[in-house]
Amino acid sequence: MRITVLLSASGCLIAAVWLHQSQLEGRLLRTEPNSIPANAALMGFALQRGGALFEAHCATCHGLAGQGDPRRGVPTLSDADWLYGTGSVSDVEQVIKYGIRSHHPKAWNLAIMPAYATPRPSARDGKIPPLSPQNIRDLVEFLMREQGRSADGAAAARGAGLFAGAGGCYDCHAVDGKGDAAIGAPNLTDGITLYGDGGRESLFMSIAYGRQGLCPAWVGRISPAGIREAALFVHSLSHPNSLARPQAPAANSASAAAAAAAAAAAAAAAASG
Amino acid sequence: MALGNITQVSSRRSFMLMGCGALLGLLMAGYSLFTARGTSTLVVPPEDVALVNQQPISRLDYLQQLQTLYGVDLRHATATQRRTVLDDMIREELFVQRGKELDVASTDPDVRAAMVNSVEQEIAADATTAQPTETQLHAYYAAHRARYASEGIMSVRDYVFPLSESQGAAEAAEALRANIPTPALLARWHGVDSGKAADEEFYFAVKIHLGGALFEAASTLPDGAASVPIVGSDAIHVLYMFKNKKPVPFDFDAARDRVLNDLRNDAIGHLRTGDEAFLRKRANVLIADDVR
Repeated sequence: MRITVLLSASGCLIAAVWLHQSQLEGRLLRTEPNSIPANAALMGFALQRGGALFEAHCATCHGLAGQGDPRRGVPTLSDADWLYGTGSVSDVEQVIKYGIRSHHPKAWNLAIMPAYATPRPSARDGKIPPLSPQNIRDLVEFLMREQGRSADGAAAARGAGLFAGAGGCYDCHAVDGKGDAAIGAPNLTDGITLYGDGGRESLFMSIAYGRQGLCPAWVGRISPAGIREAALFVHSLSHPNSLARPQAPAANSASAAAAAAAAAAAAAAAASG
Repeated sequence: MALGNITQVSSRRSFMLMGCGALLGLLMAGYSLFTARGTSTLVVPPEDVALVNQQPISRLDYLQQLQTLYGVDLRHATATQRRTVLDDMIREELFVQRGKELDVASTDPDVRAAMVNSVEQEIAADATTAQPTETQLHAYYAAHRARYASEGIMSVRDYVFPLSESQGAAEAAEALRANIPTPALLARWHGVDSGKAADEEFYFAVKIHLGGALFEAASTLPDGAASVPIVGSDAIHVLYMFKNKKPVPFDFDAARDRVLNDLRNDAIGHLRTGDEAFLRKRANVLIADDVR
């Protein structure tokens, strides 16, 4: 008899938890994504689960704390510099869902850095001409100057002409070199480099041999709620003051669970307070 | 109605509970049967904004469309903006469904091309989610090391001599090995700079400008060397190498980005080949006798 009551109670408890989580998932998905960070209860719920998803699917490249890896051209997710979009939850969610150059039809894939040291720098645009080694060095000097670093003035002036002319760089990076987040063209004037140390050699490599990083599309592989939870977690990495932001997922699941539990507790406290 | 002592077995109670369960089941089945069409649902999943003949319209796509068209998020969109975007998306879905019914893919080449491309992209998307391990990357790099090198750079000059000046070209080549080329030196044997090679160029550009045969001869020259006279159809060529920076192999770290892309592209190629083989295997393709 006691066992029956115990089993029934357990069943009811599981059902209640499941129902509660389903309701929260529903609310999470129906709420306008950019307004969720202000909702402590939803954030607590999302970060708890989003952290685990991030650890499982994103940390392999971006690192457990979203610190990125310049050796591999993996952007850091914990600063305010966003390559695609503005870093809003909906922009991040879009990237996680459809990816970047992921081959998904809805992926971000408008811009690919041409490889100017090849006969056909861009597979898509046959009008982009190759550049000579000196042209590339001039462009490097121009970029150094634009970033406020020491540069050869004459070479930088030639580079400026190439940037705004034959090189066609302005087409993606904008005439002022400040990039275009609508197509994922980085700002070249802020000193934040995606690849390498930002020195002359790494700039030369980027211009000469091109770049085309990739982020997979997770639609169909992670549930819609999971994608939003991961997006909220990523958003929280660059917004340390957002509600209930937990620690970055730890290397082992136990500490990750502890961090998530702490976040949930903080969220609950914030909600009740 | 008393249920009696719950600790004692009661057949009456058992039958009553079974009956209640059956009745509840029937009620639920009846409700589902008479309130839904077939197996369709009447509830729009939270991740969608609408279901059009059970085909979902994604909430995220809807939000993105609002942003694209009006530059607003859902909170700031007016009712008209919301309605317009939703109507457009529903219309599109309806027309896509109608297109399937009409089988437009069988007649419209654009639709066919889009479908082929879409299926190829879908296959490729599967390959991109698999993150290769460092060991796999290193193994791939080791197996294709020749691919990962810088493009060579050279500063070469192509001096041309009249076909009748074969002896002069040979003497000029000899003189070039000992001296830096000057117009005066070349003029002695009626030689001129062809102008085909620029000051400093990548190997591929030199190859395009000079042609394969001259490039092959140039690529072996060290700094300050002159080639033997090369008889062409138009003239005798003597190449002088100012600077030849040969391709330098990239180490793994420098090549990693390209290795990863190449590995993924290979994986995509394999997947596509596999999928095509599978499709061909399960397809019933009949070919007319006269074109076999």
